[in-house]
Formats: sequence, C-alpha cells, structure tokens
Amino acid sequence: MWRKTFVSLLASALASGSLLAQSGTIAGSVTATDGGRPIAGAQVTVLGTSRGAVTGDDGRYSILVDPGTYRMRVRRIGFSPDSATGVVVASGATTTQDFHLTVSAAVLGEVVSIGYGTAQAKDLTGSVAVTTTREFNTGRVVSPTELIRAKVPGVQVIDNNEPGGGIAVRIRGGASTAINGAASNDPLYVVDGVPLEITGGASSGRNPLNFINPQDIESITVLKDASSTAIYGSRGANGVVMITTKSGRSAPRFNYTGTASTSRVTGGPDMLDAAQFRDAVAQYASYRSGMLGNANTNWLRAVEQDATGMEHNLGVAGHRDDMNYRINAGYLDQTGVLRGTDTQRAALSFNYGDRLFNSLNVRANVRGAQTKDLYTPNGVLGNAVAYPSTQPIVTDSGTFYEFRGANGAAITGVPNNPLAILAQVTDQGSTLRSVGELEGEYEIPRISGLTATLRGGYDVNRADRSAFTPTTVYSQITSSNPGNIYRNINEEQKTVLDAFAKYARQFDMFSSNFDITGGWSAERFRGDYPSFNAIGLGTNLLGINGIPSSNEARPFYSLNETRMVSGFGRANLSLYDRYLFTGSIRGDKSSRLAEGHQYGVFPSAAFAWRLSNEPFLKDRTPFSDLKFRVAWGKNGNLPTLNYVGYQSYTYGQVTAQPQFGQDFVTTIRPSGSDPNLTWETTTSTNVGFDYGFKSDRFTGTIDYYTKKTTRLLFDVPTAAGASVTNHVLTNIGSLTGHGLEFALDAKLFDGENRGFAWDANFNAATNSNKLVTIGRPGVTQILTGGVAGGVGTNIQVLQAGFPINSFLVYHQIGDTSGVPIYQDRNKDGIINSLDLRPFHSPAPKWILGHTSNMSWKGFDASTTLRAYIGNYVYNNVASNLGYYNILTLANAPTNLNASVLKTHFITPQYQSDVYVENASFLRMDNVTLGYTFGPMQGPRLIRFADGTRVFGTIQNVFTATGYSGVDPSAGLGGIDNNIYPRARTFVGGVSLSF
Amino acid sequence: MNRATTRWLATAAFALAAVAACSDVPVQPKSTITSANIFSDPASYKAFIAKLYGGLVVTGQNGPDGNADIAGIDEGFSQYIRGYWQLQELPTDEAIIAWGDIGLPELNTQTWSASNPFVNAMYSRIYYQVALANQFLRETTDSKVDQRGASAALKEQIHGYRAEARFLRALSYWHAVDLFGSVPLTDENFDLRTLPQQKSRAEVFAFVESELKAVRPLLPAKSTGDYYGRASQAAVDMVLAHLYLNAKVYTGTDRYADARAAAESVIGAGFTLDPDYHHLFEADNNTSPELIFTVPQDGVHTRTWGGMTFIIHASVGGNIDPAAYGINGGWWGVRLRSPIPDLFAAEPAGTDKRSTIIFTSGQSKVASSVGDFSKGYAFPKFSNKTSAGVTGSNLDFPDTDYPMFRLADAYLIYAEAVLRGGGGSAATALGYVNALRERAYGSTAGDITAAELTLPFILDERGRELTWEGFRRQDLIRFGQFSSAGIWEWKGGIPAGKTTESYHDLYPIPSNELSANPTVHQNPGY
Repeated sequence: MWRKTFVSLLASALASGSLLAQSGTIAGSVTATDGGRPIAGAQVTVLGTSRGAVTGDDGRYSILVDPGTYRMRVRRIGFSPDSATGVVVASGATTTQDFHLTVSAAVLGEVVSIGYGTAQAKDLTGSVAVTTTREFNTGRVVSPTELIRAKVPGVQVIDNNEPGGGIAVRIRGGASTAINGAASNDPLYVVDGVPLEITGGASSGRNPLNFINPQDIESITVLKDASSTAIYGSRGANGVVMITTKSGRSAPRFNYTGTASTSRVTGGPDMLDAAQFRDAVAQYASYRSGMLGNANTNWLRAVEQDATGMEHNLGVAGHRDDMNYRINAGYLDQTGVLRGTDTQRAALSFNYGDRLFNSLNVRANVRGAQTKDLYTPNGVLGNAVAYPSTQPIVTDSGTFYEFRGANGAAITGVPNNPLAILAQVTDQGSTLRSVGELEGEYEIPRISGLTATLRGGYDVNRADRSAFTPTTVYSQITSSNPGNIYRNINEEQKTVLDAFAKYARQFDMFSSNFDITGGWSAERFRGDYPSFNAIGLGTNLLGINGIPSSNEARPFYSLNETRMVSGFGRANLSLYDRYLFTGSIRGDKSSRLAEGHQYGVFPSAAFAWRLSNEPFLKDRTPFSDLKFRVAWGKNGNLPTLNYVGYQSYTYGQVTAQPQFGQDFVTTIRPSGSDPNLTWETTTSTNVGFDYGFKSDRFTGTIDYYTKKTTRLLFDVPTAAGASVTNHVLTNIGSLTGHGLEFALDAKLFDGENRGFAWDANFNAATNSNKLVTIGRPGVTQILTGGVAGGVGTNIQVLQAGFPINSFLVYHQIGDTSGVPIYQDRNKDGIINSLDLRPFHSPAPKWILGHTSNMSWKGFDASTTLRAYIGNYVYNNVASNLGYYNILTLANAPTNLNASVLKTHFITPQYQSDVYVENASFLRMDNVTLGYTFGPMQGPRLIRFADGTRVFGTIQNVFTATGYSGVDPSAGLGGIDNNIYPRARTFVGGVSLSF
Repeated sequence: MNRATTRWLATAAFALAAVAACSDVPVQPKSTITSANIFSDPASYKAFIAKLYGGLVVTGQNGPDGNADIAGIDEGFSQYIRGYWQLQELPTDEAIIAWGDIGLPELNTQTWSASNPFVNAMYSRIYYQVALANQFLRETTDSKVDQRGASAALKEQIHGYRAEARFLRALSYWHAVDLFGSVPLTDENFDLRTLPQQKSRAEVFAFVESELKAVRPLLPAKSTGDYYGRASQAAVDMVLAHLYLNAKVYTGTDRYADARAAAESVIGAGFTLDPDYHHLFEADNNTSPELIFTVPQDGVHTRTWGGMTFIIHASVGGNIDPAAYGINGGWWGVRLRSPIPDLFAAEPAGTDKRSTIIFTSGQSKVASSVGDFSKGYAFPKFSNKTSAGVTGSNLDFPDTDYPMFRLADAYLIYAEAVLRGGGGSAATALGYVNALRERAYGSTAGDITAAELTLPFILDERGRELTWEGFRRQDLIRFGQFSSAGIWEWKGGIPAGKTTESYHDLYPIPSNELSANPTVHQNPGY
C-alpha cells in the first residue's frame, strides 16, 4: 500500500518539471492576525496536488501550479490552520493569496523530541536545547556533532583537528572521572529513536557518528539535566544527544548542494631552525657536531599539504496530504593537512512517513554510509617535529636521508625520516554502517487520546582497519622480524524493540491537560572482533592485500554479547496552562553487570510555573514569556567494559610463555574483580528560567544546576595480599559539579520586506567539578594524564577537593643555569613527589559562544565565535623536546623545542609548572556569506535558477590566544602532544532546488 | 472495529508478546573464562603454576606488553627482575641510570618517597606473586581436586606444583623482608574479606624459613632438565643461605652457622664453576654448570621489556656496538659509578678478566652527570650472544637467562659466614675464594693469602665477582656501608655524594598500600 503511494508520488515529483512551462503562480504572505508579523516556516499546501511551499523568513511563499481552481491550506505549529477555496490560477499569471493565522491557545511553540515521545517546548520542565538547520555551523562539516559547536550553553564539542577525527561531546562537563576508561563521559546518542553504539568497534578509528550525513539532520536536541535524561536511565548521566533527521515537508523538490574547499595549516610547534640547532649541538654535544648536515629543512612543512575537499548532496523530498518522504545521497571526500590523511563518505538516507487507515501513523527511517579513511601513519608527525632541521630530506643519491651507523648500516635510537615513512607505510580503514527504524503509532479506536507505538530499530556496522609496514621501512631494518601487517574487522549488530502507549487528555474548561506514557524496551547487542597481526613478512609485493608468508602471525578473536531490558513511564500534568508537573521513571536491567546487580531504577520529578500566564502578572511585566523551572532526577552510567563483575581467567599469548623445565607453557591468569560492581549514579538538580520579552523578540534561558555522582567507578589499589591483583575496579568515590548556563536569542532586526534581518544568539556557560572523595580512606591521589617523555610519566591527578585531572606539577620558582629550583612545599629539604601540587585543570571555567545570522535582500551572512576562558594546557611538545641533554641521548640528536631557549633546561623537567599554560582563546569558527537568487522572469533556463544559493565560508578564521603551543583547544585532556595541526578552510558552494 | 483495525491490534498484541519474550536478560560472558569452569580443563593446573613462574619474567598476558598484570606503572617497568635489580643496584656504588622517567632519578640518589612508582611496582610485584600462590593453593586442595575428579597421576603432579608455589611465595617474601622489612603476611588460609595483618620483620623471616624447610623435601635436588627454571632443593638452600647471612639485619639475631650450612649443602650438590666467566651472562647460559637457579628468558616465547631485555639494552650505548651483544640497539642507560673500576684497580698486577668488561672508549670514569651516558664507564656484562658468538633468536628480546643464584655466590657466602664466626673451615673458605680468583686471572697470580681473606675483602670481591647481579644493596647494608656510611657520586643527590640517613636501608611501604590497608604502618623515617 505505502509502496504504491510512494511510487506514484515519486513519479509525479519527477514529472513535475515538465509542467512548469504552462503553469501559473500562487504567491502571497502568511502573517499573524495580531500585529501582522510574518510567519516563517508555515506549510502552504495546494490540496489535491503535490504542490506546496514553506514560507520564508519574510512569511512569503510562491507556488507554481497548472492553471485551474484550487483549495489551499496553511499549517504552522503554534497557530490554528487557515484555508482558502476557489483560488483561480491562470496560465502565466500570478494569483495573490494571503493567509492570516491566529496563535493557537493550546499550542504555542515548537515540538521537541524528549525520548519516547515529544513535548511542546512551552511545556518543558527540564533543561532541553534544540538546534535546528538554520543555526547549524557552516562550512566543511564531516561529523554531525560539529554542527552544534558553540551553539548550546553547557555543551562542549571538542575535535582533534583531523577531518572526521575523534570528536567528543561533553554535556555539563560529564558525570564521571572516566579513569582508565572504566566509565565514559560520552553522552548517549539517539538517532530517530535508536540509541547508537559509539564504542571503539563502531568505526575504523575516526568518529563513529561519521556515518550520519550532516545534510540529513533536521535538528539536534540536547537533553541536559537529569529530569530530562532519566527516561534513558542507566545511560543518561552524561546527557542525551537526540538527532532527528529531515523528512519531506513541502511540495516535491529536488535539492542539490555542492561544495569545494581548500585548507591550509595555521601553525605548528616552534622548533629550532638549522642555525639554532647547530649552535645547541656545538655547545651541549660538540662531539656530535660532525653528524649534522648543511641543510635547513622545515620537516613539518614537508609532511603538510594544502588539503582539498568536495561534497555533493542530491536529494528529493516532498509530501502530499499525510504522506511524506525524503531520499538523499551524499558524497564527501576530504583530505587532511597532513599528507596521507583522507576521509571519504558515501551516504544514502531514506525517510518515509504516512498515515494509514486514518489511525496508524507509520514512519520509516533508514540510513547507511560507507566511510573510507586513510590515516597518516604513526610516527610521521612525531618524527617531523623531532627531526633535526640540519638534515636533508633526500641524500645526493636521491634516496631518503637517514642517520646511519658505520658502513652505512641501519641503526636504532635515531629519529626516522617522516617522508620515508609516508612513502612506505599504509594505514587505512573502512566502515559500513546502517541505522534504521520502523515505527507505527496507532490511535486506539473509541478511546480518544490513547495511542500505542511500536518501534523496531537496528544498528549494524562493519568496520575494518589495516596497516602495512614493509620490511624496507627504516625502523624495520634493524628488527628481528621486519615488516608487519595488522588488520581487524569489527562486526556489531544491535536491535532495539520499543513498545509504549500514551494517553493524553485535555480539560479545555481549566486550560489543563494531562498525559501519561508507559512502555517497555529491549535491546540486544552482539559484537565480533577478529583481528590478526603478522610480523616478519616474506615479501612486500602484496602490500596491504595479503600475507604471502610471515615469521609470526597472531590471531585474536573475541565476542561481546549484551542485553538490556527496560520499563519506563512518564506523566505530564499542565494545570491552567501555568503549573506544569512532570515525573518519569525508568527501570533498567543490564547483562553487563554480574547477577544480582543488574537492576536499577532511575526516577525524576520536575515542576514549572509559567509566571507570564498568571493573571496578576500578565501584561504588567516587561516579559512576554516567563517560566520558572525546577527539576530533579537520578541517572546511571554503566561501566565501559562488559562482565567486569565476574572473576575471569585470561589465557596468555605464545610470546608470554615462561619456560617450565623443557617446555614453554601458556599460562592462565585470574582477574581481580568486584562481584558487586554496578553503575555510577548521578543525581542532579536544575533550576532555570525561560524568558522572552518584547513579544518574544528576545528569548532565552538561564539555568543553574548541581550534580553529584556517587559510586564512581574507580580502579583502586588493593591491600597487598588481599586480592589476586594490585588493583580492582570498584564503585567508590564521588564527584560534584555545578554550573550556570545562559542563552539569549535576539531578533535584532526583523527584516521586514526583505530588509535587513539580524538574529543573534549569545550563550555562556560555566562548569566546575570537584572530586569529593576517592572513597577509600587514605587514598589521596590517583595519577592520570600520561604524557610523552619518559615512560609512565603522568602529569594529571584525581585528588579529593580538586577538579578532576588537575595538573600535578612542581612550582618552579627560578633556575640556576638551566637547573630549575622547585618549591620545597613540605620543607623536608628534598624535592620529591611530596612537593607536587594540583595546579589548574584542562576544563575551561567559561565557554562562550556567539552566532549571528544576517540577511538583506538575497544576501545572507552568518558567523560563529567561540571563546574559552580559564582552560589550561600542558605543552608536551615543549616538555618532551625542551632540554639540552636530549642531544646526548640515543644514537643521534633530536630537534629541540624553542622553549629551551627560555628555560635553558639541561635535563627533562616534565613536572615543572612552566609547561602548564593558560590557554584561553577567542576563535572565529566560521563566517559565511551567501546570495540567493530570487524569482526570475524570462526564459526557462534562467528561472531554473530560482532559489539557487551561492555561498562561501571560511572556517577557523582566526584564533586569539596567549598559548604558545599548537592549539589551545588541544583535544579533550588538555595535553598538547603532536596533535593534528589546525587548518583554516575556505569553502565555496552552490545549492539548487528544482 | 473494522478488519484493518483488528489486524493491527493482532499485530500489536503479537509484538507485545515478542517484547515480553525478550525480557530475559541473563547472558553469560562467552569469550571470557570464569572461575566456574577453568579447572574443567586438567591442563589449567600446569598453566596456573606456570603463571607463577611467569610472574618473575613476563609482565602480562600478551608479551612483551599488553594486558598487564599490575597497574600503576608502565608495563615494561613493572617486570619483577627489573624492579628487583633496580632497587638492589641503582642506589649503590655499582650503577647509575641516565633516564629521567619519573621516580627513576630518585633511585640513583636515595631520595625516594613513599609514592615512588618503582618502589610501589616492586611491592606490588611481590604481593602479586604472593596472591597468585595463595589463589593456586586455595584452588588445588585435595578436596577441591577430588571434587573435580582428578586422576591419581594428576593429583601427584599437583602436590609437586603446590610445593613450587610455596617456594615462589617464600622467595618473594624474602625479597619483601629484605626491601621493606615488616610487611603484611597472608597465606592460602587468609580470609579474603578481611585486611591482611602486618607482621614484624622477624615473623615474616620465620615464615619464609619454615616454608622453605617444609617444601624442601618435596622438591627435586637441582633445577635441571624437566626442572630447569623451577624450584629445587638447591634453590631453596640458596634462599636460605641469603636469609641466614642477613639474619642479623633482618631480625637482630645472627645465623651465620645456618648460612654456612646452607651454602655447604648447595656446594655439595654437584655444581661446578663455569670455566668461562662470561658464559654465565650469555645467551646460552642455560648450559652453564654453575647456575643454580635462573629466571629463563627466550626471544621467541618469553618476551618482556624487563629482565635481561632491560639489563642488556640499558647497559649498551655510546661507542659500544650493539650487534656485538646480539641486540639491535642500546638504550643508553646504566653505567658503573667510579668505585667499581677502583675496586679492580686496587687489585694486584695481572689481568682480572672480570675487569675487561669495563668499556672506557668515549666514557669517563666518574659519573659526573646522571643523564649523560658517557659519564661513568659502561659495563656490558650481559649479552644476547652465545659463547660461540651466535646471536640470540631475537634482537629485541634476549635468550639470556637471569642468573639469580650461582655457585660463586655460594662460595662467597660460605667464606663470609666462616669469617663471621659461623664455623666451617677457614682453609676451605680460602680455597673457594681463590678458585674464583684463579678463574678470573686464568692463573694463580690473583690468589690471596689467608691473612688477606678479611670481611672487607669479601665485600670487595663480591663487588668484583657479582657486579650488577642484584646483590649490592643487600651486601652494603650487611657491611654497614649503604646509607650512613659510604660515599659515591650522586649519593644523596649531590655530584660529589654524601651520606644519607640510615632509614634508607629499608624502602618505604608504598603510599598506595598505606591507603588500601590502613592497619599497615610506615617504616621509620618516611
């Protein structure tokens, strides 16, 4: 049935192009009855045809139809619908038809996804932020969460500069210490109702969300506080990011958008040039001066390139009456500014919705993508940074230069030529992933307001990663088993079945309504992880495509299988359109924990008061809208690993066999485990205001929250002799956080009659967290933040009373000829680890964001600005390569970081606080200028350009910072060690609609 | 209700039934083996006892790294022998390491604190061995083994394994007594729901002694053939000999007669001095007739970044050709401090072959800089080449076994015990010492007289014979030369060196332990 409807619809959509020649136009405006302001986003439908339009910001629309007489309908959420009959259209003429909509009493504002249902924005009692297409970040966007960077207060989107690279989202700073990966700070991602798996197996190495084409996304809703996320129970503690994809909303139209881009590196670590380096060697390792060449090579420039990218999206979307559909195909190819980096994505998506039998709303969303990733091989960036600038890239005989021993033999303990690595090593991956759902919402007959929804969803992916290092790579030549191939293939499947019912009732007499939802959800997950590692290759001829023979091959295979069954319920009560009550509860039972500890209950309660609807306040305050909210809820955060509550035995590999008499024996090892292990529990309270004044020309929110996580998952030392290991993962410790969030949306200029329009958004958030206790008497510190330099060097700490991952360093009070003087904090005359102290943390004290959207006539412009205040970064490139003794180590000197010219350090001083730098910054993330061609008269070819938009974007326009390293946003942990270089990107594109 | 509605209702009902059917959560871990079924495979007993031996040599289940046994330190640093060697050698006049890894420079200078990661790792390693042994002993009681229906032959094997587990536990407790003094003591009867109780140094000493004596009759005479690398009566005697020799330090009561008797017992077990001193430290040292107990390593099967891998690579650097030692590169780490070359220089004329190991090209005698490998003579004593000059099976991971106990050590223990009044024969003692010197000189040129055989001579001779074999700190403490007496470069943290307070004779109980077990008291001074 639906298929027939769909096919006919598609056919008519395809045929519609040929109708344009003899058609006429209906055009007009849609305005509000009170005040006459234009209404944007209203859906204008010509009934009985497939034609329709959505009004623009100026409230105007224009529809091409065959000559004839029509009935028309206009709908917009928050308004009562309007219709017109007997609209006569003549060939080649324009009929004007204006509509006036009245604000609907019962409905005001947009509909927001809240998990297992939707709510009116006005009825929300928790902290929920919606970002829609119009507000998304512009430019080259590979990963979907980049769209909302700097848009929502309290939501930090952190990237690693690599195209499509790992992007982390932290909502209100996260709820866990996430120590040793025991628990995660990642939010739960839900795409069209399907919770996604984002663990390591879900991609070949880059962001596991890359399979979602950002062009398919209609809106991203962030559930921030526990009362909103409690409906997701044991997975909601870090917030929930709900991605809603686009569906057909207007008359059938094809859309094409194409962009091309180029990017260039904006900066890098400050290393010594050849002359400076030669001087340093002469002074500190003069016996090695003879090893230096006469070149002046900029190794970083040599491994960098101007990146290029292109993206094409072609889709068709439309609706007729109750049926809608959208199909989109997208292709993206983006190289990185480091040679060797590339990401390609081919994505297809399909959305379909219909109403059948006058009582069943069905919806199907299916999307899939293949992502192919090329990675810059390991060691390229590190060697480019560390390679002495005095050495040439190639020798006189045209081969890659390397440091060699006597007789030209290969030696170890020297930097390797990064260009030789680039030329020989291959590192690549591909991910094939599809997520989809089919849901039916059935309006139960005879019981008005009762609906039952059944949803089946799936998430399947296959991700592989292969790396090939031929025997000829310099570091392999000296190896016992030169040459290696690694490959893994992850296959994961998840199915989700949700069944829930909702009963809603309105009491018009009291302007009150009530709804209650109850349901059941079951998820199954299975992941298969085979991989192998072959070393000592017989030949390089097959490259990455096979192993002809190898000296050693080691296969691995593991399987993960989990289930979760949940029951949930939610009730909303709105009294007199002023007093709003929400309560929700979810019970989860997860197989990932040991028996007896699998079940948990997560409740929430919230209350909101629409002050602006109180008769005694109405029209007496400057506020056109004012709502006070208070909410409380409890969430969980499951351990990252499965089955950690079971005592298990691990088999040893063949290279970890001790000799036992004449034999080498494979061993077994018992694990230390806490059979009572369970999830972390986060309780949070949110107090906030939603406000609007000047007839909602200015709207916004203010939120204050506190949260406390207890039963923190901690890997703690055990008492000697009391367990089979020296550490065990257990639930102890607690963490608190609080923060303030502020958002303001201002329509500074409303752009009447295609005049100047300017919408501006400002947001600001502060978050501070503090570890309350590690929960074990006497455990004062747990070291985190491993850095390069030395082995097992940790630079951060979890310590009660301090923000998590505070830097743990000595206070350097001076130096005598390159020997630092550290403060002897405990005054025992010895400088040792007792003199270290926690010192700042990587978390910004304030995150500020600003977005402006402007338009005038056909022009549009937008920009996004972002600032961090009070974040600190540890400059690991400086600490690792910033001491003169490095010139005497190993078999050849490595280049020095220019910081040594200031510090004069002789020996490494990893723990000096001179490397912990204030990395506050202001960055213009993007600026876009576009022009949209208006309706045109004339030959068909020109009218084809109607609605065509051309645009250009610059990303990473500028960064203002006092930080001396590569990038003050330095990834997630605040450690800047050979991070991917940041680039400035120029994008140009065109979008057509026909 | 029309037909369509009925159909949809039926579908919905079916779906709800399906949901209800999915409501059962239990999924047993499939790719994990739990304690419930591990011993269904009889081979698990051998695999488990092998893990106890593995605890001395490998650091995790992957080899050389990955899936580490203990947490809180880099896996390569966590290796048992590496940790033990560093704690026994780096604070002494024998060795200094160039690297700046956090906590390592403090070992060079005797300035460690209770949170030193290397001290913590060694402590954790010791108790990892103890915990594994306890778990093994709990899981292999006769009643449990019978329940699982083990054959009589398997049961007999298990009895032997149990004795080996107790030997390994006693060996680690001896290391605990030596390094940390008074420590918590648990055995297989310990109630895991309680906190281990700290015992006095003498009590732990007594436990080690009684365990070793108890298992001795259950073990083979020598660690050879099917017992290579495994516990034996000779290995037990060597632990006892060291335990007794240092008893005065450990308990305040001397046991020199027992030390002499234990040494005698080993000497009488049929070991002979290896005619080639260097063979003891080479890739085929498993064939040496002198080695009593080793921790075997193998480039193919037994890979680690600790043990001999560390000792061989770290002692190579500067002008030393790595290929000459069977490895692919030096790590530019450990050198001698000046007292050791001075010990050899003080000897009578003639060539002591042991001193030819000292590598001086491009090196200076005084370790004037900690971080510069060229300061202090290099000492590539250990090698991944066989005595025939063949390179070991892997250039990263040597085949060389760590010689924990060898006959020369037993000779010197005997001589020292005699000199300290433990009975025995002074003439025999002189004979043993001169046997070592004759091997070193290739002639009697280096022989000493009975009058020259004094305690200070023994200390010096141990410094020459057993350099970098993991005894120096213990020896210096026994001779009162480790902390409050004895000065060498960088001791106490200054280039010229200075004495340190005597509490440094014991390492601190790691702060991790103090927090995990509040009943444990810190050693005095820390």
